[in-house]
Amino acid sequence: MDTWIQWLRGPVFWAALTFMILGLARHVAMTFWGIARAARQAGDKTFPYGKVLAATIQWLFPASHLKNRLLFSLTSLVFHVAIILVPIFLAGHIALWQRGLGLSWPALPNGIATALTVAAVATAVALVIQRLASRDTRVLSRFQDYALPLLVAVPFASGFLVMHPAWSPFSRDAALLTHVLSADVLLFLIPLTKLNHMVLLPTTQLVSELAWHFPPDAGSKVAVTLEKVNEPI
Amino acid sequence: MDTKTKYSYYVEQKALEVTDRPRKFLEAFAAVLEHSNYSLALDTYARLSAKCGRCAASCQLYEATQDPRDIPCHRSELLLRVYRRYFMPSGTLKARVLGGFRLTDEYIDQMAEEYYRCTACRRCKASCPVGIDHGLVTHLARWLLAEVDVIPKALLVSVREQLEGVGNTSAIPVPALVDTCEFLEEELQDIYNVDIKFPFDVEGAEYVFFPAVSDFLLEADTLMGNAAVMHVTGGSWTIGTGNYDGINYGLFYSDRMLERIVNNVIGEVHRLKGQKVLVGECGHATRSAWYVPTFGGPDAPPVVNCLQYAHQMLEAGKIPLRAERIQERVTYHDPCNIARAGRITEEPREILKAICSDFVEMTPNRTENYCCGGGGGTVSIDEIRAFRTGPMGKRKAQQIRETGAKYLVSPCANCKKQLREICEDNDLDDVEVVGLHDLLLRVIDFGVPTPDQVTAPASEERTQETGVSC
Repeated sequence: MDTWIQWLRGPVFWAALTFMILGLARHVAMTFWGIARAARQAGDKTFPYGKVLAATIQWLFPASHLKNRLLFSLTSLVFHVAIILVPIFLAGHIALWQRGLGLSWPALPNGIATALTVAAVATAVALVIQRLASRDTRVLSRFQDYALPLLVAVPFASGFLVMHPAWSPFSRDAALLTHVLSADVLLFLIPLTKLNHMVLLPTTQLVSELAWHFPPDAGSKVAVTLEKVNEPI
Repeated sequence: MDTKTKYSYYVEQKALEVTDRPRKFLEAFAAVLEHSNYSLALDTYARLSAKCGRCAASCQLYEATQDPRDIPCHRSELLLRVYRRYFMPSGTLKARVLGGFRLTDEYIDQMAEEYYRCTACRRCKASCPVGIDHGLVTHLARWLLAEVDVIPKALLVSVREQLEGVGNTSAIPVPALVDTCEFLEEELQDIYNVDIKFPFDVEGAEYVFFPAVSDFLLEADTLMGNAAVMHVTGGSWTIGTGNYDGINYGLFYSDRMLERIVNNVIGEVHRLKGQKVLVGECGHATRSAWYVPTFGGPDAPPVVNCLQYAHQMLEAGKIPLRAERIQERVTYHDPCNIARAGRITEEPREILKAICSDFVEMTPNRTENYCCGGGGGTVSIDEIRAFRTGPMGKRKAQQIRETGAKYLVSPCANCKKQLREICEDNDLDDVEVVGLHDLLLRVIDFGVPTPDQVTAPASEERTQETGVSC
């Protein structure tokens, strides 16, 4: 089993990480290419940058938007805070980066990291339950909307068991294998699913704004393409 | 054949005779994506739609119906599904390997129904964590539907009259327009004892006036208020007999029509060697006119809404007001097209606070306001009135009732029509829906005694006529 673990957190991890970075870079490149094209084509080039920036910041730090579906929003907020902070600032992860690439940065105290890990698992499950419990979200949801939060919970739950073997019904190796395998799968899925919002979210307010900035001759060109220039209304 | 059998609204007979609609719809979709700026938004929405359901909580229609098809995200998915299947490599690949969704006539009919249950008020946009603008998707979907001739007859007929008929959506010929304005001048003389002119075709005027043309038929007080403000402020303005209609239903169903109608506005300003577009009390006319810089290039005339003009003049002390203010309780409905993006929200309030003693807000308001329920051109579709004033207008009716206001002010021709119908259908008989200039007109001090001041015994009657009580 140790060989499998080494393989999963060695070459497979690097492959998944590379795939994620390249996949997200593609999303970013496509979006910025699209933004540049839309801005270039727009007939009116006075964009309300201030409002777009304010809306973007408000949604990156959404404290002012919690009242709409309060419980769901709070759950989602805690979930996001936990899953962003723990993988990056867990002392054990930083030690791996130190060993592999010689990089390090300040770590979260283990107690806080543990609390956030538990919060990540609990809120992931709560998000799925709330999604199922609400008719609004139940009719909207696709398979990935249920599967992804649960998949995100797996590396956190298994990571908790790795760090707290006394609580674990499984062997440390089994927990560690599950941890690295699920993390690898998750990294691989990020650019292929809605998890890509981790890089696209800062652009979406601008993207929506730009769509309303029409090219001056879009309508005329569509009429030409569809051979409707002289068609009576 | 009754053309209302297929949808909730009437369409023209030719809409029922179009063949091979899925192919034509997709050809139109491809052309629009190629030439417009929608592809980036659709591509982004298709990739990261979170399906969190927050938009459901902000939609007044879904609040009333609890029908899943009225959830904004659910509605947008109808078009995004087509986009993914036919215009994203992953979707086309998936379809080839696994089969699945295909665009059909029935699916187009479903979109035709559901995209006209949305007023494109864009309230839900502010509640979407990933920034999806469902109003934008509705706007685009309606354009694509229009390319296969699915257009509510009420909108189509108006645009045809404007672009290929008399020249305006209400089919008012120039002589009738002139007669109407002369009548309004006489009214101003009779009621306020003041000589105010509606100037026509004045070359070189600073402002060329584009009200909702229906105001000439329905909103005499609003137009008299507009003229009075221009009179007391010494504004240089004119009405062009070549084009005197600010209405642009292209905004509601086709960017092709939107472009043509805006270009006609620009053309009239240039013909008269005017300097600016002055838009009357109309939300969508104002938002459409904000596309003047898009289509008009670097020489496009600036666009000013009459509320902005009046507010600026009031601030500058150029609108003298009588000591008597409007005593009855007044509330204000924000037209989505000028308020949602926060462009015109404070000017009308500051004017109303200056002229009214008892101004109360609806809650929520400004950028978070609820739509009147007739947005997106649906107010013109008379056959769906029960829907507009029922589930769609229920929330607004509740808001109005909670204010206890006598006067409900909304500076928008479409909102006013819808709000009047809401009041009629929801037992709000004591509420009077008016334009902002209607009230402003009543309190302007023209510096001359009004007939009621000249003839004392008539004062009580005149007070009723002007609506001002002391």
